[in-house]
This record gives sequence, C-alpha cells and structure tokens, in this order.
Amino acid sequence: METSLIKEELLAQQLQNAFENIVTEAVRKDTVFAYASKEQVSSILLYAKEKLGYKSLAHMSCIDWLESDEFELVYIIWSPETKLNLFVKTRIDRQNPEMENMDMIWRQLNTYQREIREMFGVEFPGFVGEKEFILEDWEDAPPMRRDFDTLEYVNDTFFEREGREDKQDVRERIAKRSGEEIPDFAKKYSRE
Amino acid sequence: MYNDKNAQTIVEYIQNFTRKNSLFMLAYGTGCGAIELPATLTSRYDAERLGVRGAATPRQADLLLITGYLSTKTLKRVIRVYEQMQDPKYVIGFGSCTINGGMYWDSYNTIKLLDKYIPVDVYINGCMPRPESVIAGFKELQSLIAAGKADGAAKYKENLEWYRENQKKVLKNWPLVEYNW
Repeated sequence: METSLIKEELLAQQLQNAFENIVTEAVRKDTVFAYASKEQVSSILLYAKEKLGYKSLAHMSCIDWLESDEFELVYIIWSPETKLNLFVKTRIDRQNPEMENMDMIWRQLNTYQREIREMFGVEFPGFVGEKEFILEDWEDAPPMRRDFDTLEYVNDTFFEREGREDKQDVRERIAKRSGEEIPDFAKKYSRE
Repeated sequence: MYNDKNAQTIVEYIQNFTRKNSLFMLAYGTGCGAIELPATLTSRYDAERLGVRGAATPRQADLLLITGYLSTKTLKRVIRVYEQMQDPKYVIGFGSCTINGGMYWDSYNTIKLLDKYIPVDVYINGCMPRPESVIAGFKELQSLIAAGKADGAAKYKENLEWYRENQKKVLKNWPLVEYNW
C-alpha cells in the first residue's frame, strides 16, 4: 500500500518556496531530501532551524564521488514536532574541497567537521578544532577517500605472517577435506 | 634426568612451579575478546582454580592479555604497559587478529602481527576464542613456564633494537625510550 507523504510534500514545498535554485524531494516516509549549492546550505539550515523547528542535528557525513570528481556533504536534521528528517545535500569540488564552517549553528558539527577533515581532507576555513580526531601522526592521504589504496598502504606499513601471503580462501579445501558440502547460500562468495 | 645438562636446578623448578600457579593477569581490554574474560573468570569456567586472577595495575601483573585487534593508537599504550610490567612477565595473544590481522587484514590502522612489536608467549586461535580455548591457552602457558620456556621478556631485552625498529615503523613521532628494565 502506498503511504501518503502529506507532511513530507508540505516540507518540500515550504523549502521550495523559501529558496530559489534548490531541488527538494519527498523520498519516503519521514524523509525529505534537499539538494542545494554550497553557498545556500548554511541559510537553509538556519531557516530550517529557526523557522521550521528542525532543532536537532542528527548527522553530518561525506560521500566521495570519485567518478564525477566531487564530494557530497549531507546534513541530516530532525524536528521534534513533525518528526521528519531533512537531508540537506550539497556537492563540492574534489580537487579543492572547502566547505563553510557551521559549528556556530550546532556545536555538534565541530566533531563531525573534525572527522570529515581528517577522513576526507575537506577543509573548513575559519574552523577552530583539534587537528587530530581519531588518527594519530597520520601523514598519508586521508584514508576514507576512495583513491587511497588501503591494501598498498598495509603492504608498505605492516608485516604479514609468512605462509599467508596469498590470502587463500580455504573454505572449499576444508570442506573437501572433511567431506562436507558448502551450502548454496555460501557458494556465491566462493573465490575458486 | 640427573645427568641432563638442560634440566632445571631445584631452585628454578620451585620458582617456575610457583610462578605458573599464581598468574596475575592484566586484561588490557582491546577489541572484542575482553568480553570472553568475565565468563572465563567467573563461576562457570572459573579460571582462578588454575591460579589465574586479575591484577589492578601493570606493575602488579605477570600476564598481559591482548584480547583482539590492536590499532596503532592502542599499540602505543600496550607497549608502555608491557614495559611497565615487572619480570616475570608473559603475553598471550587472543584471536586471529593478533595472529595475522584476522578480518582486519587490509585495514590501514590495525597492526597485523603482534609478535613483531612485543614478544608473545602463547597465541590462542579463534575469532573469538571461547572460554574453553582461553583456559587451554592458560594451561599451555603454564606448561611453558614449568619447562622454563616462556622467555618472552628475556627475548625482548635481548632484541630490543629489533623490536624498537618495528615499533617505530608504525609509531612515528612517538617517544619510545631506548632502554628497558
């Protein structure tokens, strides 16, 4: 049964009326997406917080779109009155990733921004926060970027147990040895 | 037996006998293996009947348990804890993560081989090892101690430079002292 998205459509329309050049979409129950340019994000967030009652910042995350050479930043905010999640999404240039510092709107953004700065290398001009978040003494490329080759880094940095270099899938060998049969659902993961 | 040059003297025999039956362990709760220890120590499996019990601080402990994966950040603290412990001291590595990286074999921030950084006397395999295997590991360590073969600390003192070299490969900009007690 198709559930009606009346509340969601209303919020999408409200945002559409308040801002030019943004695309809103009521995607599913309790969830509205708003795609905006980098400059508009802070005003959308402030508008949603002050006028529409989206007081709570649920999350901020970053997605690496390597193919289109962009980072996508997602701010998820939530309203205790309407119980809706509003996803504000924006795309920034991947070569020179910079985003407006917004930790004066929600102080929690401080932590998220530190994480994204460390893991993706997105800079927030004017942002004062501890330089290190989870990693210590990290000198390589930001590790959550998709062009960071984890395996290569591991081979350069860490040791490997002798005799385990090939990283074989020994499941089939063990099954053959002990005369067991691999169940169908597990066969699709087989590397042999 | 009396003519065997490798046999222990009576003093060593008594020393090893007492050491193996009073292992004070410091469970450095890294990774997921720490959750097996409450079960191992409490009434169902009751490791205390083997003389294994908890110690409050590194300086009071004989046995260091590395219970699972170690991130490079935790490795710094583990090395410091290990060096604070007083002789005799032994290390048990828990689970496949300490043996060869386990499911974190391609993770950028966890070490793969524990025995390159600190000497490990006994490995317990499994992911995670159940309390039965943990107790089997304790028994194995006890038999090594009784035979006088659990010499990880001596190995660490002897090959300190080699261990330091390996440690510095992952711990850049972290003060590691050039001596060990």
